[in-house]
Amino acid sequence: MAQSGSSMGERTSTYEAINKIGRGAYGTVYRARDKQSGQEVALKKVCIPLTDDGIPMNTLREIALLKQLNSYDHPNIVKLLDICHGQQIGKDIMMFLVFEHVEQDLAMYIEKHPKGFATTQIRNMSREIITGVDFLHSNRIIHRDLKPQNLLVTSDGHIKLADFGLAKTYDFQMKLTSVVVTLWYRAPEILLGLPYATPVDIWSVGCIIVELYTLKPLFCGKSENEQLNEILRIIGKPSKEDWPEVDNIPIKWNSFDIENQVDIKSLAPNMCETAYSLVMDMLFFDPTKRTTALKALNHEFFLEEPINT
Amino acid sequence: MPGWYYDKKELRNTPSAADGIDYKTEMRYRKKGARFIIDTGMEMDLGYNTTATGVVYFHRFYMFHSFKQFPRYVTACCCLFLAGKVEETPKKCKDIIRIAKTNLDDLKFATFGDDPKEEVMILERILLQTIKFDLQVEHPYQYLLKYAKCLKGDKAKLEKMVQMAWTFVNDSLCTTLCLQWEPEIIAVALMYLAGKLSKFEVVDWVGRTPKHLRWWDMFVEDVTMDLLEDICHQVLDLYSQPATKSPSQSPPPPGQRSARPPSPTTPQNNRNGNGNDKQAMSPETPSIPPINTKIPPPSDIPQFPYQTFTNVPPPLASYVSAPPHLAGPPPPPPHLAGPPPNVFPSFVSHPPPFPPVVPPNAPPPPFYPNGPPPPAQPHNSRRPYFPHPPT
Repeated sequence: MAQSGSSMGERTSTYEAINKIGRGAYGTVYRARDKQSGQEVALKKVCIPLTDDGIPMNTLREIALLKQLNSYDHPNIVKLLDICHGQQIGKDIMMFLVFEHVEQDLAMYIEKHPKGFATTQIRNMSREIITGVDFLHSNRIIHRDLKPQNLLVTSDGHIKLADFGLAKTYDFQMKLTSVVVTLWYRAPEILLGLPYATPVDIWSVGCIIVELYTLKPLFCGKSENEQLNEILRIIGKPSKEDWPEVDNIPIKWNSFDIENQVDIKSLAPNMCETAYSLVMDMLFFDPTKRTTALKALNHEFFLEEPINT
Repeated sequence: MPGWYYDKKELRNTPSAADGIDYKTEMRYRKKGARFIIDTGMEMDLGYNTTATGVVYFHRFYMFHSFKQFPRYVTACCCLFLAGKVEETPKKCKDIIRIAKTNLDDLKFATFGDDPKEEVMILERILLQTIKFDLQVEHPYQYLLKYAKCLKGDKAKLEKMVQMAWTFVNDSLCTTLCLQWEPEIIAVALMYLAGKLSKFEVVDWVGRTPKHLRWWDMFVEDVTMDLLEDICHQVLDLYSQPATKSPSQSPPPPGQRSARPPSPTTPQNNRNGNGNDKQAMSPETPSIPPINTKIPPPSDIPQFPYQTFTNVPPPLASYVSAPPHLAGPPPPPPHLAGPPPNVFPSFVSHPPPFPPVVPPNAPPPPFYPNGPPPPAQPHNSRRPYFPHPPT
């Protein structure tokens, strides 16, 4: 289904799809096999709208960045093995991003451990997630769709971030209607349709760390509005000053009807004080108040001696 | 990025070679293609980074395809077009083609076919696939500036040296050096060359430690003098080629990446200064070229003759954190006001300020007055290219 390489006896890789994995909001992901080496890969198919001047500049810039990131060989980032393009369909061209295939993601991993994780393990996994995020952020990349399904867990228990490609090319507005995109890890500013930056990833990581303790998603809304309601039910309604002052904001500050207020501490009673303090730093409603990946790595939670609780 | 460097044997074993194109011709095609990208880029006000990126794409492309199969000027346009987008200085495809049309003769432009734009657009995908989407390319320029900021010494001389090295970097794009060595190493080599030519001797630098024998030991490891001189030769060889005819490049022996015996001709430049192609020497010329010892001293080198094409280095002072000894008024950009340069006007129209070449058996010059000479000086047994004049 996808082919790369060139003539003149150069290595030619062809990939055949095995099955749809379906991970990823902005393109279909297949488990596939490199026919020549037999290696299993994750094949992400994205559809690039061609312009009058060929492949859009944004797409090229992002591919350039992806390739460059890849050359650093970061332990917590999934490896990009190849890029190839498929056929042109009308004004669109198919592109295939070929990534290393990791059997298991964090969602499956959580499911496999119904008894939960030890604090030490949660600390290690959290550190690896944030280390990966810090690497992306220091390379000017916002992941924007961090969730357990995009965090791969290798057979020796290490975390690799996946599915961060072509974010600008595949904007949220362009999401495929047929794909159900989870809103659970989405920061309030995205839900409100406001401009956003790296803090959106910090928000998602905060949600995921809590989930490592509770084994279930923290905020589970079925629509943008419901999602916001869930967030406010748990972290509390922000002060009117923290509510963004934008004219075209779709939801007004006083339009929420919050019932059954709970707090994270009671939802995750097994969380230690320092972990709680870290996730609270990550789950500020106001993105400017949220901690950064670099700061988070120096949080007390990661400096503690491993203790068994 | 790994995977884009080749040894000299591989450079002779290209798809074009397999297609019956001889090495000299391929080198000429590469040179012409590179120059065409540079000239077109300059005409369209594209920066040096964009043009250099386009040239690197071009060289890489022809490591996988034959010049017979892909007409070089179409490829060149496509490389510049793609580099424009990647470096965020996009130009419309049709504008690039328009400029190309005015600069190419009808026969060459005919390779673009009936629908030149479509031709370039289709090639874009082949190009992307061929260069494996490795779009981000680093060039020696940034390293040149970085290294220059660390060197201590006379400010005016340093700037002259940087200017000259910059020009050498520009010209190096017409060689296959970017397929052989990392940009850091090319920057070091061409600064070394420029330093010798402009008599800017680096005796001290910021960050020097006792284990540093030469300034570049701070930045790159395991760079032998053999390697540096090989790189310098490859650039200098450009100037000994006729501007319009097939080049008389002396081919390096295959298989050796770091050690190349000096070809007896270099630095074999056109020393008579009448701008005539025929002055270029053939590789068989005896080793000691006639030297006019009355050639202008280095202090007389105007910046212009070295500016063969494209852009000027940004003034060092404009770089944030430039140390005080580099701060100062930017170097004048006279070449910008000058007429469009010929292929290699500098060395054709103006005698290069090479110091006299000493006989092969002369003792090695005291090049490192502040310390012991480097442990291994493999070039001792050979003719040094730019030894110091006897003092």
